[in-house]
Amino acid sequence: MFSRLLSRSALVSLTGAALFSLGSQAHAQALTVYSAGPDSLIERLAADFTQQTNIDVNVFQSTTGQLMARLEAERANPLADVVISASWDSATSLSEDGLLHAYQSPNAANVPDFLQADDYVAQGVSALSLVWNKNSDTPPPSDWADLADPVYADQVTMPDPAQSGTAFELVAGLLTATGEDATWSLLEALMDNGMVVPGPNARALNPVLQGAKSVVFGAVDYIALAQQQDGEAIEVIFPESGTVIAPRPMMILASSSLQHEAEQFIDFVLSDQGQQRVAESYLMPARSDIEAQRPTLNELTLIDIDSDAMNEQRGVILERFRELTGG
Amino acid sequence: MKSIKALNLPRLDGAGIVLLLTVLILLLLVGLPLLYIVLQAIFPLWSRGDLSGAFTLFVPTLVDPALLKLLGNTLRLGLAVVVACAVLAVPLGALRALTRVPGGAVWDLIFLIPFMIPPYIAALSWMLTLQPRGYAQQLTGIEASQFLFSFYGIVFVMVLNVFPVVYFAVSRTMMSVGGRYASAARVCGAGKWQALWRVTLPLSTPGIAASLLLVFALTIEEFGTPATLGAQAGYHVLVTGIHQRFSDWPIDIPGAAVLSLLLVMLAMAAFYIQHWLVTRRSFISQTGKPTTGERAELGKWKWPVMVFFSAVAFISVAVPLLAVLATALTGTLSGGLTLDNLSLRHFEALFANRGGAMQALGTSLSLAVGAALITGVLGALIGYLVVRAQVRGKGVLDLLSLLPNTLPGVVVAVGLILAWNQSHWPIQVYNTGAMLLLAYACLLLPYPVRYASAAFRQMGESLEAAARVCGAGFVTTFRRILLPTLAPSLLVSMLLVFAIASRELVASLMVAPAGMSTVSTFVFGQFEQGSPGVGMAMSAVAIFTTTALLVGLTAFSRKRLPITS
Repeated sequence: MFSRLLSRSALVSLTGAALFSLGSQAHAQALTVYSAGPDSLIERLAADFTQQTNIDVNVFQSTTGQLMARLEAERANPLADVVISASWDSATSLSEDGLLHAYQSPNAANVPDFLQADDYVAQGVSALSLVWNKNSDTPPPSDWADLADPVYADQVTMPDPAQSGTAFELVAGLLTATGEDATWSLLEALMDNGMVVPGPNARALNPVLQGAKSVVFGAVDYIALAQQQDGEAIEVIFPESGTVIAPRPMMILASSSLQHEAEQFIDFVLSDQGQQRVAESYLMPARSDIEAQRPTLNELTLIDIDSDAMNEQRGVILERFRELTGG
Repeated sequence: MKSIKALNLPRLDGAGIVLLLTVLILLLLVGLPLLYIVLQAIFPLWSRGDLSGAFTLFVPTLVDPALLKLLGNTLRLGLAVVVACAVLAVPLGALRALTRVPGGAVWDLIFLIPFMIPPYIAALSWMLTLQPRGYAQQLTGIEASQFLFSFYGIVFVMVLNVFPVVYFAVSRTMMSVGGRYASAARVCGAGKWQALWRVTLPLSTPGIAASLLLVFALTIEEFGTPATLGAQAGYHVLVTGIHQRFSDWPIDIPGAAVLSLLLVMLAMAAFYIQHWLVTRRSFISQTGKPTTGERAELGKWKWPVMVFFSAVAFISVAVPLLAVLATALTGTLSGGLTLDNLSLRHFEALFANRGGAMQALGTSLSLAVGAALITGVLGALIGYLVVRAQVRGKGVLDLLSLLPNTLPGVVVAVGLILAWNQSHWPIQVYNTGAMLLLAYACLLLPYPVRYASAAFRQMGESLEAAARVCGAGFVTTFRRILLPTLAPSLLVSMLLVFAIASRELVASLMVAPAGMSTVSTFVFGQFEQGSPGVGMAMSAVAIFTTTALLVGLTAFSRKRLPITS
């Protein structure tokens, strides 16, 4: 009996030891990258980077909302080295909190000034669009406000700005361009017209793919462009009155113990090869000298956003949006 | 005789050490996460290392109308699912137990399957089926999105997932009660209906009520269905509230902790009542196997009953599985169900390891095996200590090991993050696979404990005594008598742990480290990424892999997989 119990306790402590060795062996050398957006892109970038530099990369891929939440939850014990978000504001906010490491990549020379700051730089740029199902009974929309028309009653979805960084940029853009009253009354009219807000980007897009709904209001364009390429019967429409772009900032956390490796990663993403990968994901590359596989900044009508003002009001805007949608 | 003496005295030391070790592991596994949640709820600034403002959050949070709405929604959902489960599964189970339903045991096997389909996948399947231009409309012209994206839709999908719990409890209980006691009543001159109403039903009530309370607890803890359908229905519950407070920027950790405590208290109340009912019941009929006593012939009711059983099977098993396969096997969603659109490209993408699909499958399977082994060893140990060892403090052991029953997955995840996401631990556990293992082991520990202690209780000391009389020493007795008797139940409970761990969603989403995904987070991620086809292909592979593994192992161990307690 004694030996039995002993051998059991040995087994248990062995299991415990295994558990913790699993814990302690973690990522001593690997670079940890938190990335929003297309997981195929970040995986390819990580794989190419590892091949070139022999530095392993651990990727946590999620939505901008969840990514920032994770960063905040981990503030006492930060783990990420590089963060790629889908919302420029998130970088501004982290930078103001002094959490970022300043770095100017030599490869950023061809990145336009408005797409870089001292401690962050764009990976690529997406734009907000209307995604319309060609098989639907509705006419193709041409502008944001069209969707308040009864033709589109119960046919519209919108990504949740609390979860999708790009959707927040759209609300912020509309607020800047058309003012408070016009923006909120448009959103209210859309809700009255039966618009649903099911979650982050793809949750809004999926019902439109099958045809349950006809149009996404404010879909991030690259997911839809990729789906279109895969043969889905959808069309990506950029509104006449203009749209907002969502540059995707890359940043190095000041708390990272792998600053040098992190800098190498930023350099790589901004290299010819890295930017090519960005273009293949139907994003606009950050560097103006790399060819895009989609409409670029020059071909789009853009709304300017007063980012600083909007970022300060983030909480208020989201709260008001939540009230509007009854969440 | 020497060995018996050795058992009485020195064993105290040996057992004492093992007991201490086990208690320590349990404290680490179960106590620590719970402690951190309580601390966080009391001290709002705990996560920043500040102890000021103790208890200041309770009153404002508890009178917050948003919280009251979440609480009300949670209770309403729980009650509605319980009522609907009772209406559906009690007649189903009673018919199976008391009458000769054609097919017999085959129905038991079929009604196990809804339990194998992860709830969020079932919810997504129903969405793809019932929304406008969904599969149902493409095939029959019916669409029911108004219904699906509403409170009733959420109840509908959840009932289809959990009704087996009630079905199995009802049919098991009624088989034993109806067989023996109803026969006795009939002998004493009671009529068929009299025996049913006066004997079988009253005697079965505690068992049925206990299973319904289990359903209540499962419902208020469930994340996948309310997360999938609730956002569009505008119906939010405590679990989704906790997840949102914890994972949407800006986050609200103290709020999440208070909501977690509230949810734990709800679940505890349900389990306390359930435990009370089950232990009260123990004087009836639980000795020996359910007997297949006299069963009523259905006569002219045979066909209506068959239609009822088949309809339930079709809706709960066939529809979700077919929707999974349809999505996985069609090239594009907008192309619909046409022959031209038939494509294997999602499976090709899956096997070409897009998005680390194969790693996710491997991770899930190995974590599930790991969780099954850890909980199996711990369960056998705790079961033995609680039932047999004459040591003080085993009550603590019992309590700690069954506590996770009342801890929803989302709460365990929050607790684990609060506990381990600290820089002062000597070893980094946070952001490693160990977090997932800890979460699964904590959540699923009660199953092996319950099975092992039941097995030890059933064995009786007489078996061991008889072996010793025949000259066997203790080691031989343990190896030849105790272990073989324990093995089947322990294996069954470990299979259950494996099945649940391999599909767990909410804790996995929250604690999975960077660079690691599991089957459930992969599927969830594919939907969030806008690739439902690949997500469903993965679901199909995972459902069939785990079901095949389970069926194979169960056949091997020749024990039916019990999903009721």
